[in-house]
Amino acid sequence: MTDLTLPAAPDTTDTPARPSVTAGNRIPGDLTREQLLDRIMRVNHAGEYGAVRIYQGQLAVIGRGQHGKTVQHMLEQEVVHKEYFQKAIGERQGRPTVLQPVWHVAGWMLGAGTALLGERAAMACTVAVEEAIDDHYREQAEQLGDDEAELRETIERFRAEELEHRDIGYENGAEQAPAYPLLHAAVKSGTRFAIWLSERI
Amino acid sequence: MTELTLDDMRDRLVLAALAHIPFDGWSLRALRHAAQDCDFDASVPERLFPHGVIDAVEHFTRLADARMAEDAEALLSADDKVRDRLFKVIQARLMRWQDHKEAVRRALSVYALPTNLTRAAAATARTADAIWRAAGDRSNDFNWYTKRASLTGIYAATLLYWLDDSTEESVDTWDYLHRRLDGMVAAIKTRQSIQKKVEKTFSHLPGPFALLAQARRLRPRMPT
Repeated sequence: MTDLTLPAAPDTTDTPARPSVTAGNRIPGDLTREQLLDRIMRVNHAGEYGAVRIYQGQLAVIGRGQHGKTVQHMLEQEVVHKEYFQKAIGERQGRPTVLQPVWHVAGWMLGAGTALLGERAAMACTVAVEEAIDDHYREQAEQLGDDEAELRETIERFRAEELEHRDIGYENGAEQAPAYPLLHAAVKSGTRFAIWLSERI
Repeated sequence: MTELTLDDMRDRLVLAALAHIPFDGWSLRALRHAAQDCDFDASVPERLFPHGVIDAVEHFTRLADARMAEDAEALLSADDKVRDRLFKVIQARLMRWQDHKEAVRRALSVYALPTNLTRAAAATARTADAIWRAAGDRSNDFNWYTKRASLTGIYAATLLYWLDDSTEESVDTWDYLHRRLDGMVAAIKTRQSIQKKVEKTFSHLPGPFALLAQARRLRPRMPT
């Protein structure tokens, strides 16, 4: 009698297969190490730049409200993130995104626009943006090898802070925002699209 | 003998071809002669440059970019101003091919063919980028683009000037390049001073919100 049970699939969910060298596991057609790092620096710089603009937009509307201090605190953390990538992209001679002027305006409009819908909507916007960023940083950290350990650890540290922002959003009634599922989905997919664009151009 | 990578072979083939280009232009014929000089198989040019001559020309440009970056490293000192750095980098780039002006001229005519326009634009952008990188540019915002755009014009004009420059050691070209770079610096300074003046003017005006608040205060009130 033949044994028909299949061998158990190796469990890869807990420990992502992280290459020891960045892009060490690439196959033809994948990005090279330089291309991958170039993309990572560009999109992270653009993302943190946009995040700063979102919080600035929120502050312009609800800065004097009950959550003003909280938003100010999140803004200060994002400014630190932005400055890190701004410095790094210059040192690595990477190309900043051509869409920077767009994010300058669009980020502020998103922050101020959701804040005009109310403080809860502003928090829902924070939750949606930070969730998208969290996914995106996790993917990046998995791609970076030991040769970029410093960058990987920085990204992980920033990711923890982004998660903190998301939790702040939940604590402050993000889910009670008007049309929360719609707002959340729109902002999150918009953020993902912005990430996709900033990686490339 | 150590195995050559494809890019090493391309470098050698293009460099060997330079001597044949005044006679045959950038053509398969020149590349075949070059292959003979390098002891490569006769089919090597087609295999290294599958899209034909434009591939070889493009590789020549990339090679020039790479050599320029190497030369620049030795040339530049930390306390050079940006315009001096740009000058030295561009000068080093052109001086290296001083004996192969004809090959450069013919390369430009290949790039000028309508079918090669997109690749010509990409090559120009790559070169402008390579010059700024070699000059140690660290820009991290939209300046990255404006810097490269203004340099593209300067470099292209200087290249054409250099091709027709018959003075010894191309001294006229270096004067010309100096004037172009001076113009660029002057344009940046003018822009900054205008920007400063505009900002100063606007800082005296009340912001839109302050204006609204003032209008509210001035609003006539009903007697109570």
